[in-house]
Amino acid sequence: MDLLQNLYMGFSISLTPINILYCLAGCFLGQIVGVLPGIGAPTAVALLLPLTFSINPTSAIIMFAGIYYGVAYGGTITSVLINVPGESSTVMTCLDGYQMALKGRAGAALSVAAIGSWIAGTIAVAILMCFAPALANFALRFGPSEFFGLAFMSFGLLTVFGAEEPIKTIISTLIGLLIATIGLDVVSGMPRFTFGMPQLFGGFDFIVMICGIFGLAEVFNSIEEPEEGQLIKEKMRLRDLFLTKAEWVASRWAILRGTIIGFLTGIIPAGGITTASFLAYLAEKRVSRHPEDFGKGAIEGVASPEAANNAASISGFAPLLALGIPGSPTTAVMLAGFMMWGIRPGPLLFQTKPDLVWGLISSKFIGNLILLLMNIFLIPLFVMILRVPYTILMCFIVIFASVGAFTVNNNFFDVWMMLGFGILGYIMRKLSYPIVPLVLALVLGNLAENSIRQALTISGGSFSIFFTRPISVLFIIVGILAYLSPVIRWALKGVRGPKVEVS
Amino acid sequence: MRLADLIGGVIVLILGVAAIYFSSQLEYYSEFGPGPGFLPLWVGICITGFAIVLIFNILRKHEKAGAFLKPRTREGFKLLIIIIATFFLLPHLGFSIGFGLFAGLTMRFMGRHRWFVCGLTAVGIAIGIRYVFGHWLSIPLPKGIAGW
Repeated sequence: MDLLQNLYMGFSISLTPINILYCLAGCFLGQIVGVLPGIGAPTAVALLLPLTFSINPTSAIIMFAGIYYGVAYGGTITSVLINVPGESSTVMTCLDGYQMALKGRAGAALSVAAIGSWIAGTIAVAILMCFAPALANFALRFGPSEFFGLAFMSFGLLTVFGAEEPIKTIISTLIGLLIATIGLDVVSGMPRFTFGMPQLFGGFDFIVMICGIFGLAEVFNSIEEPEEGQLIKEKMRLRDLFLTKAEWVASRWAILRGTIIGFLTGIIPAGGITTASFLAYLAEKRVSRHPEDFGKGAIEGVASPEAANNAASISGFAPLLALGIPGSPTTAVMLAGFMMWGIRPGPLLFQTKPDLVWGLISSKFIGNLILLLMNIFLIPLFVMILRVPYTILMCFIVIFASVGAFTVNNNFFDVWMMLGFGILGYIMRKLSYPIVPLVLALVLGNLAENSIRQALTISGGSFSIFFTRPISVLFIIVGILAYLSPVIRWALKGVRGPKVEVS
Repeated sequence: MRLADLIGGVIVLILGVAAIYFSSQLEYYSEFGPGPGFLPLWVGICITGFAIVLIFNILRKHEKAGAFLKPRTREGFKLLIIIIATFFLLPHLGFSIGFGLFAGLTMRFMGRHRWFVCGLTAVGIAIGIRYVFGHWLSIPLPKGIAGW
């Protein structure tokens, strides 16, 4: 009953004209960002965040959520039509989507992606509605040791889901933690690593850092390695968008499987939408009766990863809202937004800000419907956007990043710092140091430090507090296993013997 | 790339050692519990440890994996120089004119667009910044010598 009341309250907020407008704007922007290679959802949210100081937080967060799940829809268009993923989460869609397009079924590929994403998105919101409040209630039992355990586990899971080089993932996390300690210590008031510079007393502002790491760094990397593809110049009619009966039969279970895999991956801290689409594709190929068709235009190879990335983009809000732990770079940037508006996501958010939480959740039903319609009727418009020269797009990113950095404290020091972080992000990407762990550590650094200090203060300096409370010990064990996962994988490989390539 | 990777590893190592040095000057444990130097010290120790493992791994590997500088890296440097020049000029020219100029120069020297198109874009962006940020979003952006 409570659920229905809350949902009714949510819709009464999200269905106001202004919030529908923000939802529409978010979906449209997300769709554009998804279409344009070289700019991702975290960049878009990071660049727009400083411009929303004066907007109502609920409206702003509805818009940012629209960007997040809109990107998952938009990236599909380039994956199918030019074999270039607009977003990392649509990499798997290229494999079969582009092959379908070459066979003259581009319309069906785009259609199944849109319908699959919509079904997955709607189911995921329905599950989120029940799951997130339950998770928040459970998290009310958390004390400092549990919160430290949660942060420790999140950092560890990055090693599992992270890049090919686990050591670089861990170093990236540690650098993020170190940067997060810069500034005045909240307990003693002592300056740390400020080197006498008063501008650093408050630490580096998160918005300044992400504008550089995501905005500028992405520009430098895109200039160096432009993603170019050949647009399929086939005229698409409305009837080409309809699926045949055989295509629908083949894709319906794939959509459901993708939804479940996506939802579960999304709620794991550090899981993310890209991992969800990879896992869904691999699972679909494994259960298929015709695995040999994958990579040659199998419609299930489009339906499942598309459903998964959308479900994950919705379920990623569960740990953010209920625990205050972001599961992906975009939700990490959104967490910074919450803090900017003076809101602390976590177990109490459902009680202190029910209008924001339920307004946001209900807006996802509306957003998914808007995106379904956009993806059926506005595809030619988004294809046209692909023709915008990258030089112009690049100018806009630099301008938005600079204005964003400046508006934080109205000083030029932040603008220069943003440039510094841009160069840092560029070099890190070139040397294969993943950016996501750095960003998550920047966001969770304070939580991790405050929790460990509070826990050790309570226990009188004894680390046993982390191993005597059941939830905390569970998180710590999962975290340790996650950190050790590369060693475990290496050991298993040794037991099984070397892989023999069969050509 | 191996050399670049190695240099990267050494920089991380220096960062770790510096973190240990500076955090050891902070209070490690106070009467209320862990002090301000507690976490940074451990983070510094971990960075140093992992950097040593990383450097050891890089030295052990012998495969060549791509070059650090690519054919289009020069374009990136060009943009960096234009950005740095713009940031130096921003306090004098103001955001509208400064970024208008930035857009025009970037389009000319990186996009190879015609002067006319670049000029038009520069003016359009200057006016756009003025009205979108200054008026519509009410963001107080610094004005330059021209009062814009």
